[in-house]
Amino acid sequence: MTARLAPPITAIRKYYLGYLFIAVPVASSIIFLLIPMLTSLIWSFTDFNGLQPPHFVGLGNYVELFTRDKLFIKALQNTAIFVVLSLGAGPVLGLLTALMLNQNVRLRALFRTAYFLPVMTSMVVVATLWRMLYNESGLFNTILSSLGLGTVGWLSDPNWALVSVVIASVWQGFGYETVIFLSALQTIPGELYEAATIDGAGALAKFRFITLPSLRSVILFIYVIGIIGGAQVFDQVFVMTQGGPVNSTTTIVFYLYRRFQDLRLGYASAIAYILFLILVGFSFVQWRVLGERD
Amino acid sequence: MFVRKSALLTLTIVALVVGLVGLGPARAQDKVTLSVWDYYGDSTPIKPLVDKFQQENPAIAIQLEGLDWNTTQEKLNVVLTSEDTPDVVTIDMTWLPKFAPLGAFTDLTALSGGKLNGVALDKSYTPGALQSITYNQQTIAMLYDFDVYALYYRADLFDKKGLQPPKTWDDLVNVASKLVENKKYQYEYIADPFHAVQFIYENGGGLLNEDNTKAIFAEPKAVSAVEFYASLLKKALAINWTVDSGEVIQGIKDGRIAMFSDGPYFMGILKTAAPEMAGQWKVAAHPIPKDGKPGSYLGGTGLVIPTKSKHKEAAWKFIEYLMRPENQLNVYKVAGAAPALSAVLESPDLNAADPYFGGQKPFAVFYEAMKTAHPFPYVRQWDDIGQAITTAMQEIALGQKTVQQALEDAATTTNDALAK
Amino acid sequence: MAHASKPRSRWMTRGLLYVLLATSSVLMMIPFYWMVSSSLKQEAAVFASPPNWLPNPVSFNGYQNILSRGVFLRYLLNSVLVSVGITAGHVIFDTLAAYAFAKLRFPGRNFIFFIMLLGLMVPFQVNLIPLYRIMSSLHWLDTFAALIVPNMTSIFGIFLMRQFMFSIPDEILDAARIDGCSEWGVVGKVVAPLALPGIATLVIFVFMESWNSFLWPRIVTTSEAMFTLPVGLAQLQMKNTSNWATNMAGTTLVALPMILVFLLMQRRFMADLTAGAVRG
Repeated sequence: MTARLAPPITAIRKYYLGYLFIAVPVASSIIFLLIPMLTSLIWSFTDFNGLQPPHFVGLGNYVELFTRDKLFIKALQNTAIFVVLSLGAGPVLGLLTALMLNQNVRLRALFRTAYFLPVMTSMVVVATLWRMLYNESGLFNTILSSLGLGTVGWLSDPNWALVSVVIASVWQGFGYETVIFLSALQTIPGELYEAATIDGAGALAKFRFITLPSLRSVILFIYVIGIIGGAQVFDQVFVMTQGGPVNSTTTIVFYLYRRFQDLRLGYASAIAYILFLILVGFSFVQWRVLGERD
Repeated sequence: MFVRKSALLTLTIVALVVGLVGLGPARAQDKVTLSVWDYYGDSTPIKPLVDKFQQENPAIAIQLEGLDWNTTQEKLNVVLTSEDTPDVVTIDMTWLPKFAPLGAFTDLTALSGGKLNGVALDKSYTPGALQSITYNQQTIAMLYDFDVYALYYRADLFDKKGLQPPKTWDDLVNVASKLVENKKYQYEYIADPFHAVQFIYENGGGLLNEDNTKAIFAEPKAVSAVEFYASLLKKALAINWTVDSGEVIQGIKDGRIAMFSDGPYFMGILKTAAPEMAGQWKVAAHPIPKDGKPGSYLGGTGLVIPTKSKHKEAAWKFIEYLMRPENQLNVYKVAGAAPALSAVLESPDLNAADPYFGGQKPFAVFYEAMKTAHPFPYVRQWDDIGQAITTAMQEIALGQKTVQQALEDAATTTNDALAK
Repeated sequence: MAHASKPRSRWMTRGLLYVLLATSSVLMMIPFYWMVSSSLKQEAAVFASPPNWLPNPVSFNGYQNILSRGVFLRYLLNSVLVSVGITAGHVIFDTLAAYAFAKLRFPGRNFIFFIMLLGLMVPFQVNLIPLYRIMSSLHWLDTFAALIVPNMTSIFGIFLMRQFMFSIPDEILDAARIDGCSEWGVVGKVVAPLALPGIATLVIFVFMESWNSFLWPRIVTTSEAMFTLPVGLAQLQMKNTSNWATNMAGTTLVALPMILVFLLMQRRFMADLTAGAVRG
């Protein structure tokens, strides 16, 4: 670490490349992300409705959200359930399918495209198709009743609606994880596996001691992005259930969207920043637990 | 690798340069250019009329932005908060409650002088329609197409069983019990404010009190109205139409629904998606309780001029042009919707026998219903109130709460919202 | 061969693998198939119950509705320009930044990375109005600048690439530097080829997201000449009903270029890198 003892000019020359490489993204973040974020943060302390001058209300919005807004609390619960369920299933499915697709099989390209197709198909199409599947006389209920198990109100029963949205979501989205895992698996040198085979290692051992550790970086990425994205789930709810029935699928961002549509910009911004703080907290914890040691 | 990289780099630079130079359309300099937003989409009645307007008014150019309903709603929220607002917008009347109290739309009283193409406003529209475009004694919109509910019923099944369209709630129960077979041919129950208020208004109840400070839909008349509506579910005479039931038009085609309450635009839907059912459907006034009166929600499309528009006189000219009787006809001919101008509704074009509806004149039914319809209250908190009512109707249909309890809870939520 | 396993169990494992892959692939393709078949149906037949899996009769009305409009080509061109511009930007800027965050050392490196990561934790709706105003004051409304520049790079892409960068051993980089390579040379000649799977993934995701992007483009464009494909196609919906067959034709047309990009990317960079089967 001679860098710290070097004279300033050498230091600048040493570091300038680092700063140069990140210059455009940093500038972009400041102008197009940080400044808007600060603006809406300020709004969260007002009653701004977009059309009339705002009045400062301090922590009023935040207090109201936690003490008097039952729908907000419900949205927090619904979102938590959604994240836990979808992050439990998604990455696992993604890894499994990536492992399968990484094998030296014929028609690899075809299979890979098939798995990624749902991700590329628009949410409206996926939602419409799943609505048909969930229909009271749709495929799932037909199968259930032929097994003597009765039928389920997949999207009309408040006890099931959220789970149904999760299932459709995971189905549509795990292709993301598949593609990422697949790319990561490609970077693991084949020699490692060959050496392990020579040492007599079985498939399970290879997975535990070679594959999984090599995927550590990517797993962190998937979980961090997964929680950040999952907590902001919106499209599926908007297209499939509009938050119902009886608000059982109203998630935080869906509720926020409704408030925005109602021109309650200050209140909606407060919701956003509560979500923000939650996500910052989670990411911090995850980084500590799963993060790299550098 | 490098070849590809430099190709990409070049493309980026080209794109940036093109963008920064601004590959937008040239804007006319001396004329007034009106920015008009139209949410009718593919079947817009407005686009075909633009050329003729520009010929008649050479100093005004129209820049028409054709969007869909969802896009317009979301975009309006963003754009109205900035300085470059459009000059004329088609809005859904159910958006007025959130915009009107914030002064988003120009008061048209001065621009119009109380007249529309020379005819006084109160002669151009029915009282209900006039009420719907008035807020705080200001006229904030011109009603372009209207939406009220009437009863659609399977006339062929009625004929087969020798039934008459129901005039009272008792009739409705009677007719429904004779029609229903094996969960088919039911009356449609939808959990939303539009359908709930139909029964509430008919029974003499209301949503909010006179000065819009308190919910009154948990009072006896409203409660018994909703109880009647819910009783249809309990007696298996109505089908609770949820998202799991599929598309409404599908339920209509396969016979699960034989009676439903909806607006004039549904006639267009029937004709497009269920052409094979021509002659099987008719419309009638929705049945009312014995000592009740007809009532329905009133909505539709309004033409507004945002307050920040810089060309208000020109915008008004365009609105008046669109509201000319011969141009209003486009609303029906092109969009399949119901023109709001009384003069047009009384004209022979809209009072022709409609073969799809068995030679009936369906517009007359809707026009009649419009005379006794009124809009939802124009309060800032309408979204919360509408949601509370929807939730209550869902809870009732699921059997989670009694009608009294569900409405009382919704009333509490409403009063809380109104108090803020 | 070190494997002592009997040929038959080998065949069974391979067989099982193929069966699993085949059945699950078919399941995954179902909505896509349904989309295409709906686009070829007549309007009234789209929602038949029970659903018709084969369009009968086949009708090209949906496609005619869309392709007969001259302006469709303009939408397509706009979408291509915008998506290519955005993807190119990401490839260049995200890769460089990711390399810096992963392999270069400079004061504040981790701190800056985490601060930028915060930008992901706020839903886009919240930034929409302030961003719109910024576009307005820059006079970028209704131009390519507004569509491309704010989206040219993102911490999501940087984060993704950074994780891929970690798998590149430092020794290789040091060796290149000792050989007299400038840092740019290291990036171009050593890092980029090794990070190709990551770049391919980035291209797929970014292209897809920008191609499908709907919310931002429709807010920021006002004239029809600037609409991208999703925005222009949304116009085809009517006020109170949906032309399902036309909608599905539109979504099919929009999906095709994405599939093309996916096939291109995965064939180029993912299929042939592992000559000796990587097994886990």
